[in-house]
Amino acid sequence: MKVKVISVPVGDQEKALQFYTRKLGFLKKVDVPISKDSRWLTVVSKEEQDGPEVLFEPSPNHFEPAKTYQKALFDAGIPYTQFNVDSVMQEYERLVNLGVEFSVRPTEMRTVKIAVFDDTCGNNIQIVEML
Amino acid sequence: MTFYQREIIRIRSICYSNKRQIEAVIGTRNYINSNFDQELNLGLLSRIRFTSKFHLLRLFKKYYGLTPKQYLTDKRIEKAKEFLKEGLAVTETCFASGFETPSSFSTLFKCRVGLAPSEFQKRATFTKSV
Repeated sequence: MKVKVISVPVGDQEKALQFYTRKLGFLKKVDVPISKDSRWLTVVSKEEQDGPEVLFEPSPNHFEPAKTYQKALFDAGIPYTQFNVDSVMQEYERLVNLGVEFSVRPTEMRTVKIAVFDDTCGNNIQIVEML
Repeated sequence: MTFYQREIIRIRSICYSNKRQIEAVIGTRNYINSNFDQELNLGLLSRIRFTSKFHLLRLFKKYYGLTPKQYLTDKRIEKAKEFLKEGLAVTETCFASGFETPSSFSTLFKCRVGLAPSEFQKRATFTKSV
């Protein structure tokens, strides 16, 4: 077994694609139309283009409990998904300049530095730097 | 304040009591990161932090979930991949990433990455040129 895809639930796949490529710097990898309003849509890290893909999963539109769960996590400020970066501070400053909103500013916790931002698609995303 | 923000504050207050331990393991990790191409062993790492071998081993494992040796091997494999992508020969890559013999390097690389170093390099070059 291999890890190829991780899912991020989003209400609006196109909006997610714009945010993840234009602001976060991911690249679009696979885009397959599935039905009238859903695509199999993934992005990858620019630095690791053969690495795991992030799938924009439109579950909040089709499955009520998914929507409820996503909202509960978001309201509690909990990041379900995290990405690794070389420098949390640099990414924080870069993203703030692009208008991204952070609920947790760069914070050291034991052997990591973390920060949490709003992906505008209903999720808190954590960035992590190993110290 | 959200639930997550409260949790961060709670967990940070627990961590602070171990500030010296955290500094020791972070220092060790930084040392490994900048000296992965040298011969490193637990004795050397612990002398640098003025601590006993077994104490350092226990601490490192407690905070990073890996032993220093496991971490060092991961780092060397990661560096070897970079060198191979840059076009360094397999033998050069072996020594530049701190492995001792090309044969043990190739065996370990194949076991971790799933491809022999030469095969990995061939595919990386092919992907780049397409």
